[in-house]
Amino acid sequence: MHNKNLFGVSALFDSPDKIISVAKKTTDAGYKKFDINTPYPVHGMEKAMKLKPSKLGFITLVFGLTGSFIALLFMYWTMSVDYPMIISGKPFFALPAFIPVTFEVTVLLATLATVIGMITFFFKFPENHHPLHDTNYMKQVSKDKFGLVIESADKNFELEKVKEFLQSLNPIAIEEIYYQEKANNSLLEPRFLTLLFAIALVTSGTTYFVLNKLLYMTPFDWMSTQLKLNPQKPSDLFSDGYGMRSPVKGTVAQGFMPYLAKGNPNPNSNDLLENPYLITEENIKLGKSKYLTFCSPCHGNFGDGDSRLRGQFPNPPSLHSKRAQDFKDGMIYHVIVNGQNSMPSYAPYLNHEERWSVVNYIRVLQRAKNASESDIQFAKKENVKNASN
Amino acid sequence: MNIDYSQEAPAVAGRLTLAEIEELVAKPLDTRPDKKYFIALSISGSALMIGAICLALSFYYGLGLWGNNQPIGWAFDIVNFVFWVGIGHAGTLISAILFLLRQKWRTGIARFAEAMTIFAVMCAGIFPAIHTGRPWLDGYLLPYPNQHSLWVNFTSPLLWDVFAVSTYFTVSLVFWYIGLIPDFATLRDRTSSKIKKTIYSLFSLGWRHSSRHWQHYEKSYMLLAGFATPLVLSVHTIVSFDFAVSILPGWHTTIFPPYFVAGAIFSGFAMVVTVLVFVRKIFDLENIITMDHLEKMNKVILATGMMVGYAYGMEFFIAWYSGVQAEQFVFVNRAFGPYAWAYWIMVSCNVIFPQLFWVKKFRRSIPVMMVVVILVNVGMWFERFVITVTSLHRDFLPSSWAYYTPTLYDFGILIGSFGLFFTLVILFTKSLPVVSISEVKAVAEGAQPSHHGGVVNA
Amino acid sequence: MHQTDFHYTHKELPTGLKKFGSIFLIAGLILAAVAFFVDRERTIFNYLIFYSMLISLGVGSLFLIALEYVSGADWSVPFRRIPEFLSGILPLLFVLVIPLLIFNHDLFHWTHKEAVEQDAILKGKEPYLNITFFIVRVLAFIAVWVIFYLIIGKNSSKQDSSKDQNLTRKNIIYSAIFIPIFAITITFTSIDWLMSLEPHWFSTIFGVYYFAGTVIASLAAVTLIVVSLKERGYYQPWITDDHLYSFGALLFAFVNFWAYIAFSQYLLIWYANLPEETFWFLTRWEGSWSIISILLIFVHFIVPYAVLLSQPAKMNPKKLKFISIWLLFAHLLDIYWLVMPNMAEMKSGYIFSWIDFVFPILGVGFVMLVFSFFGKNKNLIPIGDPKLKRGLNFHL
Repeated sequence: MHNKNLFGVSALFDSPDKIISVAKKTTDAGYKKFDINTPYPVHGMEKAMKLKPSKLGFITLVFGLTGSFIALLFMYWTMSVDYPMIISGKPFFALPAFIPVTFEVTVLLATLATVIGMITFFFKFPENHHPLHDTNYMKQVSKDKFGLVIESADKNFELEKVKEFLQSLNPIAIEEIYYQEKANNSLLEPRFLTLLFAIALVTSGTTYFVLNKLLYMTPFDWMSTQLKLNPQKPSDLFSDGYGMRSPVKGTVAQGFMPYLAKGNPNPNSNDLLENPYLITEENIKLGKSKYLTFCSPCHGNFGDGDSRLRGQFPNPPSLHSKRAQDFKDGMIYHVIVNGQNSMPSYAPYLNHEERWSVVNYIRVLQRAKNASESDIQFAKKENVKNASN
Repeated sequence: MNIDYSQEAPAVAGRLTLAEIEELVAKPLDTRPDKKYFIALSISGSALMIGAICLALSFYYGLGLWGNNQPIGWAFDIVNFVFWVGIGHAGTLISAILFLLRQKWRTGIARFAEAMTIFAVMCAGIFPAIHTGRPWLDGYLLPYPNQHSLWVNFTSPLLWDVFAVSTYFTVSLVFWYIGLIPDFATLRDRTSSKIKKTIYSLFSLGWRHSSRHWQHYEKSYMLLAGFATPLVLSVHTIVSFDFAVSILPGWHTTIFPPYFVAGAIFSGFAMVVTVLVFVRKIFDLENIITMDHLEKMNKVILATGMMVGYAYGMEFFIAWYSGVQAEQFVFVNRAFGPYAWAYWIMVSCNVIFPQLFWVKKFRRSIPVMMVVVILVNVGMWFERFVITVTSLHRDFLPSSWAYYTPTLYDFGILIGSFGLFFTLVILFTKSLPVVSISEVKAVAEGAQPSHHGGVVNA
Repeated sequence: MHQTDFHYTHKELPTGLKKFGSIFLIAGLILAAVAFFVDRERTIFNYLIFYSMLISLGVGSLFLIALEYVSGADWSVPFRRIPEFLSGILPLLFVLVIPLLIFNHDLFHWTHKEAVEQDAILKGKEPYLNITFFIVRVLAFIAVWVIFYLIIGKNSSKQDSSKDQNLTRKNIIYSAIFIPIFAITITFTSIDWLMSLEPHWFSTIFGVYYFAGTVIASLAAVTLIVVSLKERGYYQPWITDDHLYSFGALLFAFVNFWAYIAFSQYLLIWYANLPEETFWFLTRWEGSWSIISILLIFVHFIVPYAVLLSQPAKMNPKKLKFISIWLLFAHLLDIYWLVMPNMAEMKSGYIFSWIDFVFPILGVGFVMLVFSFFGKNKNLIPIGDPKLKRGLNFHL
């Protein structure tokens, strides 16, 4: 089953000067598959062995640049595209503030790639079953000797000739190195598979425990058990047991505005308010957005009363009826605040300015539906102007 | 004593052979630890336990146990963080910058200093993690797509810190491990114990001391050093940004980045000397970590100490020169306000005492050196205290002025961080080679061909 | 060590140095005189740039010498004479500073009494920013530099004949004393000449920023001279790639250092956004100045970084020569960028003028002449230095 094969022949030397000249002679003799083993890097060995300069730097460069690029792109995307937020008055893409992280990611990626690349591609490590391991030769070069191995895989390898060549270099010792062939795939070894399975089990178990159990134990759950008032929950603090309190008698909430027509389905026209807002582009825009959010589901996008609710709620009359057109601004405001028939009050959702802007927008819709000739001429002119710009 | 300048001082004293170097370094790993070792370990272990208990209580009851108040919201937590990160700068400086500067004397101390870097960064990492109050939620600091659909704030220096410190830790660890690979191989080949051999083989990855590998290995070391050098500067620079990007007088000053870096090297070297003085004595490494090496480190301490002094002076001068009243007040308050005691401890320990190193005799005297470096450690801790607390304690409104008094828990956690550091250092001395065997061999006398790269000159 | 039998044969500096130096100097002087009558203010501002550049080269060179002694470096020993010759600029500063002192009114806003009276901040700075103290400082700093230049330089040339190791020991001590003094003097020099041009502005890192520039400039000048002399065969046969690599690596390091300091200063001021600081950058960011600001980033950092990044480039004489000329220009641009926006008419935007090219011409001629004057009868290599052999045999 196990064959003993010749890996190569080794020779030991005892000085750095010697090993340099040995390396030169070996290269000159035409051997390609040989190696010099020294306990530490000997200066000038690269030239003596005629090694090509290491190409490791390319990995570093490529991954370093990738790191910079990815980091910058990622920060750009998160901070300027996905969730733009103004932070201390800086622009969304605040380049100076992104440089530190870019630098760190560059360094991290470049160094890790260099080391991992070197170990896996250049060294083909881990390799604890190399024929040289556990030989007397290895023990000596690990300590204080300098060694040469000529491998049997070399084109010019002939055992006797190589030995003769090594003898001519005056070594301290010569050793033939053998190895035993092994033919099974170590990835399928049961021990390895068991290890993988165990790691998977531990990782998933830990994750489950931490996320689903640990975080709900004391003191990790103190966020949810703190001494504070929760809305809609009873509280022992007050004698009536209610957590939420009504305002003290006579207090007025901030921003409160008295409204005389409140709750009156047929208000006195004297109680209605006057429209304090001018029709400006800004105001109309606000009104449009509020109208589309709150009014359009029932009244329709253009106020035709074409509800999108498909009969789940009674359709309101059109806003373009004579009655609605004749409403004063104050009356529309009143309907928004107070509701009408089956329409509820929208006061909680729209503030003072927004209600008036909706009123203004409804006026815009009404005019658009009943446009006069001059309006149409004017709109055409505007369109031409906009198109030419 | 007259020096002969025409000869380079040998990096290894006592004309040790390669085998002797290896024997010396590997001895602590082959022998059983003695009683003293366990005494030292139990002391540092107790300190660690004190810290662990204080920390556990802080988690259980909350950060109200600490002395932090309004307006001093940042105190021991950030002070200790900056202190330990600073300590962690010496290792990479020695292993990377001195490597690029071709300083051979670094070989004897590099491994130990790198290990101290890693341990110090671990100690440092504790503080930002715990100062959030609920450290189990620190995962939110990572930019991952989460259920809140929020991203971390990439414009915040506190987030830069997360990136800088974690990158620094990773790169330092990788650097350290790369340096250890050949030593693991050497240990693997000399040990007779089967368990040890399995462990060493695993970590050596099958290293064969092959010259074809050494070539890439040296290149990678060079590249890593090239990256570690700006990295080490960036880390403390970013730590300084934590303060300096604000508009708080006393924090916002443009000299902070280089000043923090110089301070970090200063404190880091002081800590390395503190520990090395003991290590070389206990493990008979006087020939590898020689008096010359310590003297050179003391020179660096002197130089960086003066840089720090320069920054103190500059801050004061520009505070006056700026004409900004708040700025002027903070600096006068620093030197003569309620925290004047801390300020003058800082100035005397960091600027005045290191001046002793101008005298060669003092640079080479172990007792003087010990006193000075310990004072430097104290002084540098106080520097961070002064920067943090005195800038905060007198807010813009006199109604929110306050005095900060640390509680027992603050001190307990500080002691605990020292406990962690020294426990790790003590465990390290007995489990890994404290000096890089292959690097020291390479600079020993006669270790290199008689004229470097003989091919070039032949 | 087969190179121990090194014999130095004295070789005169190239004659072209003196010839071209004189041509440049005379041309520069004539143009400067014309410029002075055409636009006095601009000429004075340009003269300040020229003067700052000479400080950078002179004191920077002295710093390089001191650094070599203190750090115990050996590779740079054979080239030490070059910074020694360059620091010969220092005694001449006594003369060169006179025009600036005479026309200080054109340069410095804080010299205007009536303006200071109405400005509470400038009033507060008066104890420091006043003409008397200013002149005292300026002259004292030059005097200190000259003293160290004379001591260190004299010891170094004495060693050529005496080969006394004690002189090296002495110079190490003087250098160690010089370096902290250098740090303080260069800081206040930069504050006085450059920062106080805009007397309301302040930045604690400014001294370090200027220091980074001086080292780049002097190192680039030394590298340029070394490579040029090498091309003419002055350093054969001992000069190796490793010597050149050391120059390249140091330049690369300081290019990065400058960028680091410049970025730190910018980031902190940009981030904190305090009006008393940002206006200085804003002046340099508005209108046509923004082009020069962006140009500065490219010229002073990105291009030299890209050129010097690869290992072979750091030892390639052609690239080194190119990049050292480039970096000298970069430092000039840097000072230009610091100084020129302070001119009243340039505050709102850059205005082109031929006067800006006069002083660089004058400066090149001046430095060439200084170099050939001080290098005339001296050895180009410190032949008595005990570290010389180590320097000649230097290998990485």
